[in-house]
Amino acid sequence: MIRAVTEVVWDEIARPAGVSRQKKDAIFELCCRVAAMAERFRESGGGSLEKDAAIEKRKLLRFGLELLVEGADQAHIDFAFKHSPISLDLDAGTKLELAAVRTGLSALAAGRHPSVLLRRMTAVLGPEYFDKAGDWLAEKARKRRKRDQSLLVPGDLPDLVRSLALDPRSLERTMRAAGRELAVAALAGCAQESVDLVAGFYGPVGEAAFEDDAAWQRAKLSGDEIGQAQNAFAEVVKRLEAEGELELGPEDEFSSDPAFVRELTRAVMALDERSLRTVFKEGDSRILALAMQGLEPRAHERILGLLPNRVAKRLLDAVDDAAILPRRDVLLAGKTLAKAVLGHAALAKSGPPESLESFEKVRDWLEDVET
Amino acid sequence: MINWNAELAKRLACGEDERRGLGPLIRRFIDLARKARKEGYLALEAEAAQTEDPLLKVGLRLVAEGVSGDDLEDILATYLLANDEKGWPFLRACATVEGLVSVAAGDENAIMIRKLVAYYGADRALALLQELEGASA
Repeated sequence: MIRAVTEVVWDEIARPAGVSRQKKDAIFELCCRVAAMAERFRESGGGSLEKDAAIEKRKLLRFGLELLVEGADQAHIDFAFKHSPISLDLDAGTKLELAAVRTGLSALAAGRHPSVLLRRMTAVLGPEYFDKAGDWLAEKARKRRKRDQSLLVPGDLPDLVRSLALDPRSLERTMRAAGRELAVAALAGCAQESVDLVAGFYGPVGEAAFEDDAAWQRAKLSGDEIGQAQNAFAEVVKRLEAEGELELGPEDEFSSDPAFVRELTRAVMALDERSLRTVFKEGDSRILALAMQGLEPRAHERILGLLPNRVAKRLLDAVDDAAILPRRDVLLAGKTLAKAVLGHAALAKSGPPESLESFEKVRDWLEDVET
Repeated sequence: MINWNAELAKRLACGEDERRGLGPLIRRFIDLARKARKEGYLALEAEAAQTEDPLLKVGLRLVAEGVSGDDLEDILATYLLANDEKGWPFLRACATVEGLVSVAAGDENAIMIRKLVAYYGADRALALLQELEGASA
């Protein structure tokens, strides 16, 4: 039986039936304001709540905000709202407002993401406000879009995530089985590439929430806590694999050949800016994005730094869309890039010799990838 | 631990014929879980668009959005309790919430079925369990 129903105090339930549309709309606006406060709190800390409390006109919300400013945790918030005279003898509309405020501030104290907080708060208004809340969240998610350009990560978990991502359903299955909190804590220790691979499973609103939570936990959790979460995540993978729910390929199938990555990176770093810019501006974004999986981060930075924003964005979008490739495909994409650079150098009759030499090595890489 | 209480027991009470509706509901959740595993959880949004049940509709969309665990349970319970239902509609809503939380957690069919047949009552749960496990194998 669901816990939330077995623990309910029946005569304290606030219900939207009988509350005017106008009042419910006003409560909805209040819910959005609290979600925005939660967002500011995450960005700038407790000082923002103090300012919000000082200017808040709604009695119930100000009461709760003041509790938070004084350091109240989730249990204190719930207790204070339940036993304060402020909660006595309320009409149906104010009772509904109280339920929304108490739920929201309790979620804020528990560190919930603003999107979850808004979903929790607006649930008291009934399903007809679900879409409205979704629109508000989608707009917030659209505006917050930000991207870390680091694409290569050391350590075990990123490799595991990349392996799982070869079959997106396997990665998603693992994420769901691990649960969101554990997954976020584990991924908080990884660079953006791993988070990007995972966050896309949740749609635009969920993706934004996952990315925000991972970044927030990264600043909040200790290295040991993240390490424990990563071990627990790896245990989930082992369990699912033992149960036959996942099938992981051999590890080296997914990791790039280090010597190849070094050589291709050396070639890119030594190439003159003009040639590099031309090849990446004129080349097929999809192929170039695939080749970038065989480059070190410094080469990513150099390439992206040379390109106009529009071209860099197109390339990053292609990187986002590209599947994680097995080693053979990374080699093949790198060889294609090498052929393009050498073709351009032959036409232009120029190019730094040490770079072209490296690109020739890449083009003729001994591993037999074309059979 | 379940904090059983008289009010909850009273609300869950309904006729045997009504309770038979749990079988199709559980089968629906097995199908939804299978679809999510096969096509990804975002595919549940298309299922949400086709359902008339408001609780199942919002629940599927929340699951697709990545809400799970206590958050999902609390949100869905708030919707459920706000309706002030009794009898079969209340029982069905409770099973719907349980099913959605189970889908979100990626439970295997066997686990999900065991969680949901419990709503059928101890006397009939075993028969329904055998029937459903045979069908989902």
